[in-house]
Amino acid sequence: MLFWTIGWPIIWVLIGSFSFTGNAPTETVAYTRGAISISMMVFGLMTAGMANLPGNIAQDRERGLLTKVMSMPISPWRDFTGRILALLAFSGLSAMLVIAVGLACGARFSFTGINFIASLAFILLIFVASAGIGMLIGTFVKHVHGAIMSGVGLTVVSAALSGVMTPYEFLPSILQNFARIYPISSANSAITYLLVGARYAGYEPISVSQTVPTALIALLLFILGLITYSRFCWKKD
Amino acid sequence: MKFNVTHYYSSLLYGRVQAVKTFAVLAENVTKEYGEKEVLKKVNLKISKGEFYALMGPNGSGKTTLASILASVKSPTSGKIEIFGKKPEAARKITGYVPQENFSSPLLTGKENLMYFAELLGYSKREAAEIVEGLLKKVGLWEDANKRVSHYSGGMRKRLEVATILFPGLKLLILDEPTTGLDPSARRKFLGLVQELRNEETTILLITHIGADADLASRVGLIDRGLIIAEDQPEKLKRNSGLKNVVNIETSIKNDKVASLLSKFSEKMKVLETETGYRVFTEDVEKATPNIVRSLDENGCKVIRIETAKPSLEDVFFKLTERKVREVD
Repeated sequence: MLFWTIGWPIIWVLIGSFSFTGNAPTETVAYTRGAISISMMVFGLMTAGMANLPGNIAQDRERGLLTKVMSMPISPWRDFTGRILALLAFSGLSAMLVIAVGLACGARFSFTGINFIASLAFILLIFVASAGIGMLIGTFVKHVHGAIMSGVGLTVVSAALSGVMTPYEFLPSILQNFARIYPISSANSAITYLLVGARYAGYEPISVSQTVPTALIALLLFILGLITYSRFCWKKD
Repeated sequence: MKFNVTHYYSSLLYGRVQAVKTFAVLAENVTKEYGEKEVLKKVNLKISKGEFYALMGPNGSGKTTLASILASVKSPTSGKIEIFGKKPEAARKITGYVPQENFSSPLLTGKENLMYFAELLGYSKREAAEIVEGLLKKVGLWEDANKRVSHYSGGMRKRLEVATILFPGLKLLILDEPTTGLDPSARRKFLGLVQELRNEETTILLITHIGADADLASRVGLIDRGLIIAEDQPEKLKRNSGLKNVVNIETSIKNDKVASLLSKFSEKMKVLETETGYRVFTEDVEKATPNIVRSLDENGCKVIRIETAKPSLEDVFFKLTERKVREVD
């Protein structure tokens, strides 16, 4: 899983930074690399939440740890908090490594104070939405490999269809609509808009009409995942 | 102070009722159904404080289901369950459960695994470190405390997992098939540890399908198809089973023909298949033994070893159910 969460995005930062910027004007190369690095950071966050988390849940279930913990005087919320904090640390590490490799490859970002803080908020939304989807997968897909592969598959497909891995303007209009609704791609565009520039986002993702639904859907996914996890994973059948 | 007669007698009565009622484990008419399938059928079980009770039965008999209900991991469909007079959910602080699976993390060291559980239980890092050191010493793993669990043997790993139920305050220890998969030496060492845990304050419930493990208990319950079919001290169970002698035969081959030949020498034509051969139940061992050897030899089956043995709990189970506790190859 380390490969999918950290290795794979880094490989794509390396490939993308040098092969996808061949025809770009010199003055835009550094920002294009920045946009690629952000997309890959988002991909890493998605994999951590949508594949790592369900993989861990399924593994704990398979090896009896969940049964053991359920027999202890611990609430599902405590177990859940532990999982989320571990995921947060792991996602943070993945994000920092991917951005560091991007910077080493010549990526440039505009790290102004407010933009940086706003970007962190959008990163948090990506984390929250991915974790929500991950908990749904982890609750219903019982086997470890099944849970991981379902998560990786969903990550790759949704990232490709929503413009995380493809520039927004290249998407057909129906997928552009999806990219605006899907909170992860919408937050990805917002981060790109804030840290790299408006022209790399393809639309204005930080308007109120865009950010409010993004935040609400991300939170909704998280709450849905949380309720499902605590109801069904901890269900005494 | 005013003496209240009613209060005095009612408290006396209440005290007596409490004394009678409080078992470490009390299960009354417990049933568990999964759809149409009835896994537990009105099971009744009473285990006193400080008792070492073994619940023995084959796979699918319902013993693990009962254990997980007592550990409050599963809910019964109906019936009453009490752990030291409380509902299982309310007794989690005093109940320690080691499920069948190896739940310890192979990526962490033995010490880190126990620290994880200690912190889950709410101990501070300092308290946890002290307790964990004591637990590791108790289960004989202190010298290997900083080794990754992936480098532990099966027996060491099981002992580590048992350490998770030895935190202070735990009064009921439920061990679900802890010796499964352990080699004979590791099994003996592990059972030695379980024996050491016995004391007046600690009640042990051992779930097993191995008669020799159940033999260690002060009382054994035999469970089959969701029902406890017999319950007593191990020796009494054997004595009352009516089984007198058992001939243990290691044969060169095992097939239906050999089993059929042996059944002629066995009580009620019952022959128990073992890993290496068969067990025949007979009253007159001296008379039966040479006849068994001759009969098998005439039919092309060599007897590698033949010996008389005392009836085991597996034999008792077989006598009662005509089913084996353990599946053999």
